[in-house]
Amino acid sequence: MKETNESNPQPGHKGEVVIAIKGLKKSFGEKHVLKDINLEVNKGENVVILGRSGTGKSVTIQCIVGLLKQDEGSLKVFGEEVAGLSDNELKDLRIKIGFLFQSGALYDSMTIRENLEFPLTRILKLTEQQDIDKRVEEALDSVGLLEAIDKLPSDLSGGMRKRAGLARTIVVNPEIMLYDEPTTGLDPITSREISELILNIQKKNKTSSIIITHDMECARLASDRVVIMDDGKYIAEGTFESLHKSKNKIVEAFFKDIL
Amino acid sequence: MAEEIAIPGWKKWFEGIGDQVGFFSGFFKNIFSGGFEWSEFVRQCYEIGYRSMMLVGITSFIMGVVLIVQLRPTLVAFGAASMLPKTLSVSFIREIGPVIIAIICAGKIASSIGAELGSMKVTEQLDAMEVSGANPLQYLVVTRILATTIMVPILSVIGDVIGLFGGFLALNLRDDMSFTLYFTKVVGSIDFSDFLPAFIKTIFFGFAIGFVGCYKGFRSNKGTESVGLAANSAVVTASLWIFVIDAIAVQITSLLFYK
Repeated sequence: MKETNESNPQPGHKGEVVIAIKGLKKSFGEKHVLKDINLEVNKGENVVILGRSGTGKSVTIQCIVGLLKQDEGSLKVFGEEVAGLSDNELKDLRIKIGFLFQSGALYDSMTIRENLEFPLTRILKLTEQQDIDKRVEEALDSVGLLEAIDKLPSDLSGGMRKRAGLARTIVVNPEIMLYDEPTTGLDPITSREISELILNIQKKNKTSSIIITHDMECARLASDRVVIMDDGKYIAEGTFESLHKSKNKIVEAFFKDIL
Repeated sequence: MAEEIAIPGWKKWFEGIGDQVGFFSGFFKNIFSGGFEWSEFVRQCYEIGYRSMMLVGITSFIMGVVLIVQLRPTLVAFGAASMLPKTLSVSFIREIGPVIIAIICAGKIASSIGAELGSMKVTEQLDAMEVSGANPLQYLVVTRILATTIMVPILSVIGDVIGLFGGFLALNLRDDMSFTLYFTKVVGSIDFSDFLPAFIKTIFFGFAIGFVGCYKGFRSNKGTESVGLAANSAVVTASLWIFVIDAIAVQITSLLFYK
């Protein structure tokens, strides 16, 4: 079990580092959202980021995928500085990264099949319909949503939309998965199903993941390591069990209802 | 004090112009960057063209009827009732038809594009497309702008024909004129310099409608009320642009054709 390292967590985990963040800072006008973020994610590792709303968790993963650019600091994915990539290099990098949005972000004018075909035909440039169908069906089957293949997103429940969004993300076999509050707004049973899916994806595809969540059950189930964020900084990191015993007041507040 | 307030306003205005120029160049860059989305383009032509036909047809028919009913007493007073077909055809084809139809299209199409893309932004679909490595400009913007640029002139021609037919029916409410005579008078009174400049300006109207709709949708804020604002702003701005283009077109046309 890893030791809790509070107040100034430093990366110190062995293995191939796929995401390396050092001194990341990001402001929106006068509001300093990220103040000094340091994080390393190893290959095959699931890192959960916990924190109150508005502490910059989503901004961190949006910087990783190049949707936002940091003001200061270094952010490397597979050893490449994201902010320094050209449009084409960024596109190539994004193919290796799956991003599950809070809402699922399914294209609502397309059926679930078309949603999954979209990255296969546009990004991987697959042309063989048989191959496309096989990959679409496999991805939907892995999230238990094969029966909804020809439905529109508006016909699906919140949990089904999240699963469909997850299927669309994994259909291209990404090496890194970024989950933005994957269980928010879902009932406890569906939340657990999503958390188990995250775990299955890690095991099956050997993906490295960053999971942003407020759901402690999701954090407990899916994490190899948990990082706690407050006021734009990481204040503690460790395994779920080690943080559970922490005496830090903010960390305690997160774990107070966990038995 | 007044200067302190004015400077940020001008700065914002120039930033807005710069952003629109960037969006404009992004559109042209993506037309020729390969991988044209033919199926989406055809779908948009159907949505924009075919689904607007009924509205354009009814409006044009009513405009034809109203113009004849309004013009008749004046022309009869001058003993020029026989000039009604010519007056209607020249005014309808040169000016009233293209502008009224473009305004109708701005109301229907620009608002619909603005609202659709705005809602895609709110529900993170645009971000999802971008982080997946696909190009939202190519898939969403290029197809819509090209579809409006092609379909608005076609709708305008259809509207002209229906409007002139409405005029024929209105004329026969009070007078008696055969269709052959009406048709001969209409065709005889229109020449190349009436039709071509009007047709060319509808191409610019179509471009403006598509461009403004896409721009307002893409640049909407991430809140539900911004979808309505994007749709509203798209209609107002596109309508304004139609009049600006018309004012420029009429100057160029009068210099070239009606000395």
